[in-house]
Amino acid sequence: MAGLPTTAAVEDVPFFAQDDYYCGPAALAMALAWSGLEVTQNDLVPVVYTPGRRGTLQSDVLAGARRYERLAVVVDNLPDLLAEVAAGHPVLVFQNLGLRALPQWHYAVVTGYDVDERTLRLHSGRTEDLETRLSTFARTWARGDNWALVVLPPGELPATAGERAVLEAAAALERGGAAEAAAASYTAILTRWPDSLPGWIGLGNAAYATGDTTRAIAAFRRATERHPSAVAAWRNLAFVLEETGDASAAAEARARAEALAAASS
Amino acid sequence: MKIFEHCRCALAQLAIALVLTATLPMGFAQAGLVPTDEVITETFGTSDERARVEAFLAREDVQEQFAALGVDPAEAAQRVAALSDDEVAEIAGQLDQLPAGEGFLVTAAIVAGVILLILVITDIAGITNVFTFIK
Repeated sequence: MAGLPTTAAVEDVPFFAQDDYYCGPAALAMALAWSGLEVTQNDLVPVVYTPGRRGTLQSDVLAGARRYERLAVVVDNLPDLLAEVAAGHPVLVFQNLGLRALPQWHYAVVTGYDVDERTLRLHSGRTEDLETRLSTFARTWARGDNWALVVLPPGELPATAGERAVLEAAAALERGGAAEAAAASYTAILTRWPDSLPGWIGLGNAAYATGDTTRAIAAFRRATERHPSAVAAWRNLAFVLEETGDASAAAEARARAEALAAASS
Repeated sequence: MKIFEHCRCALAQLAIALVLTATLPMGFAQAGLVPTDEVITETFGTSDERARVEAFLAREDVQEQFAALGVDPAEAAQRVAALSDDEVAEIAGQLDQLPAGEGFLVTAAIVAGVILLILVITDIAGITNVFTFIK
């Protein structure tokens, strides 16, 4: 854990005490409220709670965050989890507070840590900033298969995640119709990874979905400049140029796409 | 049920169409924008095409499983729509076994504690004999 501050805290995470069985809605509500949305635990019950299971599935937390147009990225190891907290991001964690054979599945939100004291702080259940031993947390978290989530406002990126993980999170927003949020995420991705082909394609596709063809063309052009042999870049550029009536430029891009496709098949 | 079977058939045809277009060279079969997901998989490594088609079909199943577990059908559709093919494939057929977080059950814990206490007292009083360590 080199390079990490020994102590860190995210001070402004709202706390919602969970009602019975509602740790999923409560934890996601805290993460979303921190990211700037006005939501409560009850708003999220229909979104993430499954009555027949009397609980919340991990896939629903992920889907729920996306439906509120937030970039949700999985964190799967303790150094990354602490690094996110140090970067000022609360981390939604999935724990098994019980035993493997007698599980007690639980969602909570990590709000701080102190490596010297070997403690971790969480908004958990009905306790605000519950202080727990780092080693105990590591065990309960490992029993939940080391699954955690950062839930960020559009345009912000996790401190630790790799290029593919954030691209997939942005593409999930795009697929769900949150084109503005997706475009903001792709822009942030391109600031960190300026050569990302999927980043430029994503930005173009998301801009096109918002109706901004000028921005879409600019993004696809950048994609062709940085990746001249990428068929998708030329094809998407040709498509939007055709839509906007720029016939000669479109024909040129289309020809490049087809020549590349023919050469590779 | 008839409608459902019909629906399934249409889905299967769509899946076949998907497989066909996916195996044709790019730039030839599709007219619209190349989706971002596709460029991500191309850039970082391809996912199994068959798995993608299976996931496509699994969406309906997962939606029905949610409905069977008491989730409002319209809500179930939205939950599934927010997941990628891979994510749907991971949970398909397992909604009743995957871990579901419920958190601290304070009420349940208090009830259990009270019952335990009553049994200890009644054991001590000799009314019950639940705990062998209480003589």
